[in-house]
Amino acid sequence: MKFIDPHIHCVSRTTDDYLFMARAGVVAVSEPAFWAGYDRSSAASFGDYFRHLLDIEPKRAAKYGIDHYSWLCINAKEAENVELSREVIKLIPPLLDHPRVLGIGEIGLNKNTRNEITVFEEQVEIAAKHNQLILIHTPHLEDKHKGTAIITSILKNDKRIRPERVLIDHCEEHTIRIARENGFWAGLTIYPVTKVTPTRGCDILEQFGPSMICVNSASDWGESSPSMLIDTALEFRRRGHTEAELAGVFYDNPCRFFGQSPKWKLKPTAGK
Amino acid sequence: MLELKTMPNAESVLDHQYLEMRWRALSLAADLDRIQRAAGGAEVIRDDPRMVKLRRVFELLLSDAHDRAEQVQMILSDATPWPE
Repeated sequence: MKFIDPHIHCVSRTTDDYLFMARAGVVAVSEPAFWAGYDRSSAASFGDYFRHLLDIEPKRAAKYGIDHYSWLCINAKEAENVELSREVIKLIPPLLDHPRVLGIGEIGLNKNTRNEITVFEEQVEIAAKHNQLILIHTPHLEDKHKGTAIITSILKNDKRIRPERVLIDHCEEHTIRIARENGFWAGLTIYPVTKVTPTRGCDILEQFGPSMICVNSASDWGESSPSMLIDTALEFRRRGHTEAELAGVFYDNPCRFFGQSPKWKLKPTAGK
Repeated sequence: MLELKTMPNAESVLDHQYLEMRWRALSLAADLDRIQRAAGGAEVIRDDPRMVKLRRVFELLLSDAHDRAEQVQMILSDATPWPE
């Protein structure tokens, strides 16, 4: 069984994690730009971070036979500083033609503030202007439902944005309908603690159907693990779902979403 | 359109989940006891806004509601207006 982890922050992981992923069958990953574990003090720090995402991490992944792609943005956690955000946003357009860039992400909201919304809208503008795929970060915990509603409202009101080219990530039981019923892709992020577990992830796949859902591990600076993707697949298999259904969820779905970018090379194992 | 072909029966799901549900119920009971034993515990259990929300959650769990997970999520969600 081959896997794709469509949302993982490899910069925060050790080589042991790469080895684990390779042994478990992960053949490709996509890494959205996000928080560095601390707030950065200048746009130059983001410039270095983007270089790490585009040049360093693909080489690190390739040592384990893993194909590594990235997304660029200033993340919602650091978007409260609008002035800094605008300096960072200026760095992005010249990098969009890089062969490892799939689009703009993960943009979105964190605490649902006015400043976060301003920076989100300015990055949607960049994506629309440059015809880029969009990967959306939705807030965690009590802020999630409101933030997801605000984000999807902004995206729906921009007629240049095609929903099938947007993935609304970190969906949970109360937000997945908002994403799917508006034509967006949905992401399920599986954590060992505090958020969606492998069991609940499988519940959501069964309740809502697996179409246009990408399951990921996030594997960020908090308590998280690349094994969450594999554990979810094992739970899905334990429930009696077939190998073809596993491949459909954990390999074909990300291939279909990412395949809208000509830079993504892997093909789904099954037809539409 | 992907569709899943296999759905297990309820008894087998309960067989698989029961020990973990039992463990989670005991963990919650111990959590509440720990808060209660601490200084000011009785007031926090009764009045803290987070506990007030959790009481609503516990009532929902005991009901015959469908989609409990979704309803729990909404009880625990920020319902304030959007920013201007």
